[in-house]
Amino acid sequence: LLEDLLNFKSNLRQISQRTISTASRRQLENRVPEKQKLFQEDNGLPVYLKGGAMDGLLYRVTMGLSVFGTGYVLYELMVASMPKKQK
Amino acid sequence: MAHQAHSYHMVDPSPWPIFGAAAALLTTSGLIMWFHYNSSVLLTLGLISMLLVMLQWWRDIVRESTFQGHHTPTVQKGLRYGMILFITSEAFFFLGFFWAFFHSSLAPTPELGGQWPPTGIKPLNPMEVPLLNTAILLASGITVTWAHHSITEGNRKHAIHALTLTILLGFYFTALQAMEYHEAPFSIADSVYGSTFFVATGFHGLHVIIGSSFLTVCLFRLIKFHFTSDHHFGFEAAAWYWHFVDVIWLFLYMTIYWWGS
Repeated sequence: LLEDLLNFKSNLRQISQRTISTASRRQLENRVPEKQKLFQEDNGLPVYLKGGAMDGLLYRVTMGLSVFGTGYVLYELMVASMPKKQK
Repeated sequence: MAHQAHSYHMVDPSPWPIFGAAAALLTTSGLIMWFHYNSSVLLTLGLISMLLVMLQWWRDIVRESTFQGHHTPTVQKGLRYGMILFITSEAFFFLGFFWAFFHSSLAPTPELGGQWPPTGIKPLNPMEVPLLNTAILLASGITVTWAHHSITEGNRKHAIHALTLTILLGFYFTALQAMEYHEAPFSIADSVYGSTFFVATGFHGLHVIIGSSFLTVCLFRLIKFHFTSDHHFGFEAAAWYWHFVDVIWLFLYMTIYWWGS
């Protein structure tokens, strides 16, 4: 019985150590080769869109802000350059 | 697949330069709207788009180098020239503010009481927090060099520790300066003393924040195995910038804090 208990404890420790170290090991693993494969894929995509769907979304948001903002600047400049008539 | 007969990097067409220019337009116009018409919409729009462009442009450079392998020794040489030229331009930027300081402090006008510090100004004691800040930045220069050596020697654990320590020292400096700003008995409106003090140290503080951010990005890249022991220019550029920030502080400390008190 004592032997069983000791085996059980040692197995339990091994399992818990293995589980934790595997989970955290994946985060500390070198994932650069995967990225290299993704960004060297011959799919004709430019580098600023090659990472996936999020790239496209960020691009559209940036473009939206820039284009809208430029238009707004031109509007405000027009308004600022018109003299306010005072009676 | 086309092959090139040279070692330069012909980049993919990219929208970031023009969006960056638009962001600069929005930011500068936004400053005008904020100063003169009390509206911060444009400024906010400008700063957000500037941030988005910077994040995506630099993300793409990491992709082109670490993931696509375009940064040959020739390309790296060009980047080194570029970073050195940029830091030199920043040195000239600060030179202007040092000029302004000496212009006003070497020949103090009657309006200031003919003395420097001007009558009524109680300057900060250079032997208190400013001295501690000097020690902090000098120490951070040592830790960033330690990090560099660790990278070239392939010692991952030490590199991560040393770079983290460098960043923490940078945050400590920033926190202490923020506290000093809050506690200072004079403000930016207190004659040309306040102007020269807060504009020079303020721009320096901004550069400390920029440098800390650059180092933090390097830390993430270091942890994610982007750097090799003989190719890690991003880190070197960040270290150069950090040393530059340290040197500017030393000049600030010796001139404005110490000589000027």
